[in-house]
Amino acid sequence: MTAKQQELLSAFVDGELNQQELDELLSLMDSDESARADFLSYQFSSDVLRGYTSRSEPIDLSSRISAALESEPAHQPAEVAGEKARVLKLPDWFWKQTAGLAAAASIGALAVVGVIDQPQNSVTPELAQAQPQPQVIQQQPNIAASNRWTVGEREVEDRLNNYLVDHNEYAGASGLFSYARVVSYGEE
Amino acid sequence: MNADQELVRRVQAGDKKAFDLLIMKYQQRIIHVITGFVHDPVEAMDVAQEAFIKAYRALPGFRGDSAFYTWLYRIAINTSKNYLTAASRRPPVTDVDAGDATIYYDAPELKEFQTPENSLMSDELQQAIHEAIQELPEDTATAIKLREFEGLSYEEIAQAMDCPIGTVRSRIFRAREAIDKQVKAVMTGGEEQQ
Repeated sequence: MTAKQQELLSAFVDGELNQQELDELLSLMDSDESARADFLSYQFSSDVLRGYTSRSEPIDLSSRISAALESEPAHQPAEVAGEKARVLKLPDWFWKQTAGLAAAASIGALAVVGVIDQPQNSVTPELAQAQPQPQVIQQQPNIAASNRWTVGEREVEDRLNNYLVDHNEYAGASGLFSYARVVSYGEE
Repeated sequence: MNADQELVRRVQAGDKKAFDLLIMKYQQRIIHVITGFVHDPVEAMDVAQEAFIKAYRALPGFRGDSAFYTWLYRIAINTSKNYLTAASRRPPVTDVDAGDATIYYDAPELKEFQTPENSLMSDELQQAIHEAIQELPEDTATAIKLREFEGLSYEEIAQAMDCPIGTVRSRIFRAREAIDKQVKAVMTGGEEQQ
């Protein structure tokens, strides 16, 4: 294996590869067993340094997991969430009927709203002035959204999430795990 | 798009080998997380395998709202908890009194997964790595420290050290090579030390 290829392995430990380099890495890992061993070694040292493992030697589960996944079908691009739904061509008569119904429903809704609003809005201008202005209440943050980071910048959000994950991992390694609360992320 | 995102995209497009790389990258961390719950190392590896398989199956639903590892980490935690729940309903694998199975977390027999020898070796590894970094040329040591201890990207390191990204990359690689030599020397009991 060349020094350039080993540098590729090191850069992958840091997640710093572009698409073309990933292609090279995938074919290298497929063809050269020593590349796998070197990568495992680099990754292990990095994990030891960061306290992500307390083992005395690297473990490689990849072959047994790959063997277990052999019978699993490969994913198809259409399975991926967020994929655009297939557009169904609907007949013209459907759109005509829908438009007619929508127009009728809008007129009906306007009429109902007008009738309901009439008595409630019948306040004299003097009374209206005397009435206190409604206070602007700051909307409380959504509880479901408050247990995860919501910051504008993706990079900052990723970094904060990493801190949170690191915190949990260190809490787990501290020996106080039974007593420590696990910080986790809200389901979306 | 970072390397993880690209690998995820490839797995979602049907490339199973890309998932193999994700396993290789994160397996130590995931086993470490799981070991916090499932103390037996053999069981922890089984749970890790289960977590990775679940992740593979769930990957089409992963939209990339969080980093891949954050998502995988959650799967690992949930798999561990499910495993413990299931384990409390059956006799423990290790030699523990059946009554202890109900207080799984507190059963000392299940907690002692790291032998004194392992622990010593782990300390020696840490020390060897730190020594290897100290012996590096200053620029190389700074680059690896900024990467491993501060978590900076290559671009950020290049800015901090006022050098091209390619230089950062090769400095970090050279540091890793030196560290790797020391680590291997510790693991083989000094046989490879020159």
